[in-house]
Amino acid sequence: MLQSSVIEEIKRIVGKEHVYTSLEERICYGYDSTPEAFFPDLVVRPATTEEIQKIVKLANHHLFPIIPRGAGTGLSGGSVPVKGGVVLDLTRMNKILEIDEENLVAVVEPGVITYELQQEVEKRGLFYPPDPASLKTSTIGGNVAECAGGPRAFKYGVTRDYVLGLEVVTPTGELLKVGGKTVKSVTGYDLIRLYTGSEGTLGIITKIILRLLPKPEAKKTLMAVYPSLDDAAHTVTMIIKKGIIPATLELMDDLTIRCVENYLHMGLPLDAEAILIMEVDGPAELVEKQAVQVAELCRENGAREVKIAADEKDRDEIWRARRAVSAAVVQIKPTKISEDIAVPRSQIPKMVRRLKEIAARYDLNLVIFGHAGDGNLHPNILCDQNDAEEMERVRKAIAELFKAAVELGGTLTGEHGIGTMKAPYLKYETGDVGYQVMKAIKKALDPNNILNPGKIFLE
Amino acid sequence: MIKVETVKTYLDRCSKCGGCQAVCPLYGETMAEPLVARGKLFLIKNHIEGKLELSPKMKELMSLCLLCKACMENCPNKIPVDQLVLWARQKIAQEKGISFVKKNIFQHLLKNNGRLTIAARLGYFYQHSGLQWLVRKSRLLELFGDLAKKESLLPEMAKVPFRNQVPRLLPVSRPQKRVAYFTGCLTNFVFPDIGYAVINVLRNNGVEVVIPEQWCCGIPALASGDEETAVDLARKNVKVFQRENVDAIITDCASCGSTLKEYAELLETPEARSFAEKVLDFSQLLADVVGFQPGEEELSGLVVTYHDPCHLRRGMGISEAPRSLIKAVPGVTFKEMKESDRCCGAAGSFNLTYYELAVSIGRRKAKNVQDTGANVLLTACPSCIMQLRHVLQLEGSDVQVLHLAQLLDKTYSNAEKKS
Ligand SMILES: Cc1cc2nc3c(=O)[nH]c(=O)nc-3n(C[C@H](O)[C@H](O)[C@H](O)COP(=O)(O)OP(=O)(O)OC[C@H]3O[C@@H](n4cnc5c(N)ncnc54)[C@H](O)[C@@H]3O)c2cc1C
Ligand code: SF4
Ligand code: SF4
Repeated sequence: MLQSSVIEEIKRIVGKEHVYTSLEERICYGYDSTPEAFFPDLVVRPATTEEIQKIVKLANHHLFPIIPRGAGTGLSGGSVPVKGGVVLDLTRMNKILEIDEENLVAVVEPGVITYELQQEVEKRGLFYPPDPASLKTSTIGGNVAECAGGPRAFKYGVTRDYVLGLEVVTPTGELLKVGGKTVKSVTGYDLIRLYTGSEGTLGIITKIILRLLPKPEAKKTLMAVYPSLDDAAHTVTMIIKKGIIPATLELMDDLTIRCVENYLHMGLPLDAEAILIMEVDGPAELVEKQAVQVAELCRENGAREVKIAADEKDRDEIWRARRAVSAAVVQIKPTKISEDIAVPRSQIPKMVRRLKEIAARYDLNLVIFGHAGDGNLHPNILCDQNDAEEMERVRKAIAELFKAAVELGGTLTGEHGIGTMKAPYLKYETGDVGYQVMKAIKKALDPNNILNPGKIFLE
Repeated sequence: MIKVETVKTYLDRCSKCGGCQAVCPLYGETMAEPLVARGKLFLIKNHIEGKLELSPKMKELMSLCLLCKACMENCPNKIPVDQLVLWARQKIAQEKGISFVKKNIFQHLLKNNGRLTIAARLGYFYQHSGLQWLVRKSRLLELFGDLAKKESLLPEMAKVPFRNQVPRLLPVSRPQKRVAYFTGCLTNFVFPDIGYAVINVLRNNGVEVVIPEQWCCGIPALASGDEETAVDLARKNVKVFQRENVDAIITDCASCGSTLKEYAELLETPEARSFAEKVLDFSQLLADVVGFQPGEEELSGLVVTYHDPCHLRRGMGISEAPRSLIKAVPGVTFKEMKESDRCCGAAGSFNLTYYELAVSIGRRKAKNVQDTGANVLLTACPSCIMQLRHVLQLEGSDVQVLHLAQLLDKTYSNAEKKS
């Protein structure tokens, strides 16, 4: 519990209307988009970097945890206050400070919503590619802290590929500035990469300098239906061999297709093993040509049906299927545990089969969809939170699916982060040495273990 | 009202994805998690699990909802958040009671048309006797915080309520349809002009109108958790309208319309069901049943835009009918605004209780209106009209705010009242 004198001090720093003390308000900052839920002692909503520095210094003096929080849409428990303390809600710091069209750079505060930044830059003919499915709500700060990715990652990379500079309040309350407006920089250690994906454990990001691109002139969307998953995976390889890099290559497995069809009744084939949704973008002429080439490649490699969207309406119809996945799958059972392992692309068919074996062994409902271009798969287990016995089977299945991913040369998490949910499995991938190196970094930067304790590492 | 078991199943369906943040107008202004659907559902869940009391804070947070249904429309799991919030409000009202003032208004005024009329006359007297001028001049209201601003939000009362001005039956020769008109409190006490426009447009389209004795639809009581009063009002209305031999029961107010539709579940009687089935919005009747014919009058220079009332678009599922009617008026240019279906912030008496918040929501709407370059803003709900006029005025805009019926009425040479 926080002493009341500390609470008073915090109120003086940020203004009392920006501090939530009531049980009811605090409980609303104890969860994110996972089933995890804890209780912060206080919710603080600062407006400036200086306010944050003061609070962090106070925390080091009185030794209370601080948990940075964006929109709370994390899928690994990153912003839940497992040890209580102060949830530092950064959504009030939501200004786009600058869009520099000459240098193709945007400077933003951490609470800016991803979609709003994209809208603003697109008005100027520019493009910020990272597109997590949560972009209409997630914050840029949260995106950087989790190194969020999205369907466009295969061609355009993930958040880390766009961060040029950061302003960070360190765990002891100092102000750190790294990087700047240049694309190149090799001054000392690459702290930007260290901070991107640091899950709020190494500092509070207060300003972000992002790289922008010119907006591609055109895009074309395709959908291909496959009787065989292997053929779908093989098509992806063939497309890339042809020298075509689609912006998007989304894969849905058989169960996902059935769920979506049951939900939307849009005429998807119930006997298909896989559907690929693909998007090519670039100069208009090239895009037209590539779309036709991709369609041919799909047919040559076993697609039973290929659709090229003729207009915006067609395009929406194709994406409607993909967008409905989340809603469609919870019709099976209410609780959805979303994992996001990634494997080398060539291992996708093998990984899918391993996942299905695991699900069968533990008698669980599992659907798989994800990004076929970069091997990032989202196996989702549908279960019922209130059924303890089933949840135990879920836990065991998850441990196995992580093992399988690492065995196939992959990773525990492509984009959602470790947080609390995957902390027990971290060593599967990092090994002892990797784990010790990471812990040493944390200890060096945050000697009092103030920032987001209980995350990444099991304590 | 829904049962606790149903509430629980809905709560279990919330995946806490946070998608509602993108559309909740309250979240948009405050970015406060307790105000967004996800937060409210989590609070209700914790209450049901015995972890949270129905504290004053809980009451406040539950009252902070526009019941605009934007979250539900956007929710991947289509959770009827407004119903769950109403469930909580009702529970709070039952266990903690509703405020003395509200209770008196609901149980004594709303149920008694005579008293309501007297109250409205008092309102008119206040506004026209010089008393209002005196009170404003004396700055008496400033003693009560933002009461001064709220008072300016209150509409000008009609001198004589609409229903006391018009006959019960408004016949036409060889009617193609016969309808009963549910005038709603705002048209009756504040905006008789809208009532006249509705009647005139209908009659010009061969529709005979009957205006039975009627009571408040009950939404103010329902929204405050007073189901008892709402049920009582619903019973009275059903009983009276049932006697009329009509093809439809029409409303000019989206909030009344969607509430009347809910009578079926509220009363669960066959009479209520057949009553609810007959309820149509004015625009729906004209566009889908009657086949609207505009009059001969030339309109020119009108650039109009349209605001979708929450209760019309999401409550009754009507968004095309009003647009098709506007487009059927010769000489009118229609411009769609951005976020036309985002709540204007009125939400019944929300704008009185949470004035500042409602105004900031309204200003966003006003900006979207102004961006279209329109000189007339149309909508289909008197309560929205009040709020929209207020915020446009605050923005210094001279855009005229009218009910859809008032635009249509302008096309007839025999328009009874020109606005
Ligand atoms: C429906 C849905 C779809 C999703 N789709 C994707 C997807 O396609 N790709 C993807 O990558 N993710 C996805 N996610 C996960 C999530 O949206 C991302 O991880 C996102 O980046 C989190 O942003 P947030 O603002 O919600 O952060 P939060 O959840 O609030 O926080 C996430 C982490 O970042 C830290 N943090 C937040 N702000 C700061 C800051 N300013 N400084 C330091 N640390 C900070 C927190 O402490 C926490 O550890 C999805 C989530 C949902 C619910
Ligand atoms: S959008 Fe629906 S499921 Fe998602 S958090 Fe909001 S209410 Fe819950
Ligand atoms: S009904 Fe409207 S105000 Fe209430 S939670 Fe939903 S979106 Fe927000």
